[in-house]
Amino acid sequence: MATAQFFGTPLRKSQRVAGYLFVLPTFVLFLGFVLWPILYTAYLSLTSWGGFGAPRFVNLDNYSRMLHDPVARRALIVTLVLTGVTTAILTFLGLVTAVLVNVIWPKVGVVVRTILFIPGIVSFVVSAVLWKLIYDPNIGTLNRLLGAIGLDSLQHQWLADHKTVLPAIIVVTVWGGLGFNMLIYFAGLQSIDPNLYEAAAMDGANTVQQFRHITVPSLRIVTGLIVSLGLLNGFKAFDVIFVMTGGGPNHASEVLGTYLYSLAFGSTSGSIPQLGYASAFSVVTMVLCTLAVIAQLWLTRRADR
Amino acid sequence: MRKSLLGKSFATFVLLPFCLLMAFPFVWMLLTSLREQNTIFNGPIIPRKFTGTAYRDAWTSIEFPLHFWNSVWITSVTVIGVLIFATLSGYAFAKLDFPFRNTLFVLLLTTLMMPSTALIIPLYLELKSFGLLDSQAGLLVLYISGSAPFAMFLMRAFFQTLPDELIEAARVDGGSELTIFRRVILPLTRPGIATVVIFQFLSTWNEFLIANTVLRNTDSLPLQPVLFTLMGQYSTNWPALTAGLTLSVVPVVIVYVRMQRQFVAGMMLGAVKN
Repeated sequence: MATAQFFGTPLRKSQRVAGYLFVLPTFVLFLGFVLWPILYTAYLSLTSWGGFGAPRFVNLDNYSRMLHDPVARRALIVTLVLTGVTTAILTFLGLVTAVLVNVIWPKVGVVVRTILFIPGIVSFVVSAVLWKLIYDPNIGTLNRLLGAIGLDSLQHQWLADHKTVLPAIIVVTVWGGLGFNMLIYFAGLQSIDPNLYEAAAMDGANTVQQFRHITVPSLRIVTGLIVSLGLLNGFKAFDVIFVMTGGGPNHASEVLGTYLYSLAFGSTSGSIPQLGYASAFSVVTMVLCTLAVIAQLWLTRRADR
Repeated sequence: MRKSLLGKSFATFVLLPFCLLMAFPFVWMLLTSLREQNTIFNGPIIPRKFTGTAYRDAWTSIEFPLHFWNSVWITSVTVIGVLIFATLSGYAFAKLDFPFRNTLFVLLLTTLMMPSTALIIPLYLELKSFGLLDSQAGLLVLYISGSAPFAMFLMRAFFQTLPDELIEAARVDGGSELTIFRRVILPLTRPGIATVVIFQFLSTWNEFLIANTVLRNTDSLPLQPVLFTLMGQYSTNWPALTAGLTLSVVPVVIVYVRMQRQFVAGMMLGAVKN
């Protein structure tokens, strides 16, 4: 012990110095381009500012304006609905496909996994443009296929009709996100001890009972993760909607991200940017994302007990 | 439905059509990019005649090579930058002992839950005040600072799997912390580095929002914002449009197929530890 103590002090000190030096570059970037922007946008959300001159402090006016702005309310509702529905579908389908892939012949499983995962590695811009063409009302493949099998009555202006635009967006999001969830569930399934199933089978439990009492509880932490990632992705949704509909028709698919973007960087030329009001939506988005993470930490901790 | 033959057949019966459905948009993209422009309105869904002219159109008319190389350049610099920052800090958080280590770590991790939609306004203003708007340098700074914490998190998990004795022994041999890091530790973390590289490659290559906001000068744009404007320009020339999409996807698919194992391993690690 004496030698350890003898060497201990200078070693510890050099470790301490090295520790700070190694972390410093990342931390400086964090301060400058993460923490400062968070604080700055929180401050801007309390001001009225067109981008020139000094921001004018207006207290909580932007937030109360939000409550009376029908587009803001619409954007919040659409964000929550899209997030909720997409997360539910993605969680359920992810589990089902993972169970099926786990049952199938391993060699076939590899192929299936790759096919389901590829939509998730191309950019949102690519998938949004691709699906926009598929949904095209005149020459889009979806309408043409419906026509070819005699279902002309189902043909739609998919992205221009406020009834179908949200389901159309959900399809694209599920298409892109399913492979990721399936893979995580698949890994979770593989880590379940097979002896559990054997013991249950010997006790006379059938497949459905095994699924309910072994598979589902074992995957609780994985499910918590998938749900919270789904919520995060939903709250920050932007690319797909921006490219496919731009929030239209008439704000039917407007979400927090697209609305704050049009307020700040507006496509309507000539209008003054509303950086203060837009920042209030940034703050709302950050609060939602923080809540999603807190909920997950809380659930995981409970599952651990 | 355990792994009986019945279960397997049932799974195949359900998954096969489902896979066809999932793969359809890509198959359709390829078929459309290879058909003649005048057949998209009323030709059959599977074209009778294939042609590569759309690829030539997409390649020449929008300066595709220029934007392609912009993407390659921006992605490469980001990957290298992120690697430098993330390996250094990830190692410190995994293996070095210093006060406030955990506090700093948790603080840095808050980056992971802050979406770029929420930060785009202050980031835009910040670059503007630094005079970095419209420059790839500004974009690179934002990419690296936004991605380094997640990569750091992954690298930390990899470093934690290395035995402490290894570092102790190197210290007794008298190496400085930086020498130990470079000579002893880094060579052992190839799999971790590969994971970070592929993750970073995919997310930077695919990034749209920040690039589309801070770069206005057409010549410096990477592919994603260009594909978006291409959609407006070529709203009816679908073969050229889908050819552009296909070309932009090629590197992603190649990297994914070649590095699939590391990608999946890293995803599990990231997912489970998150």
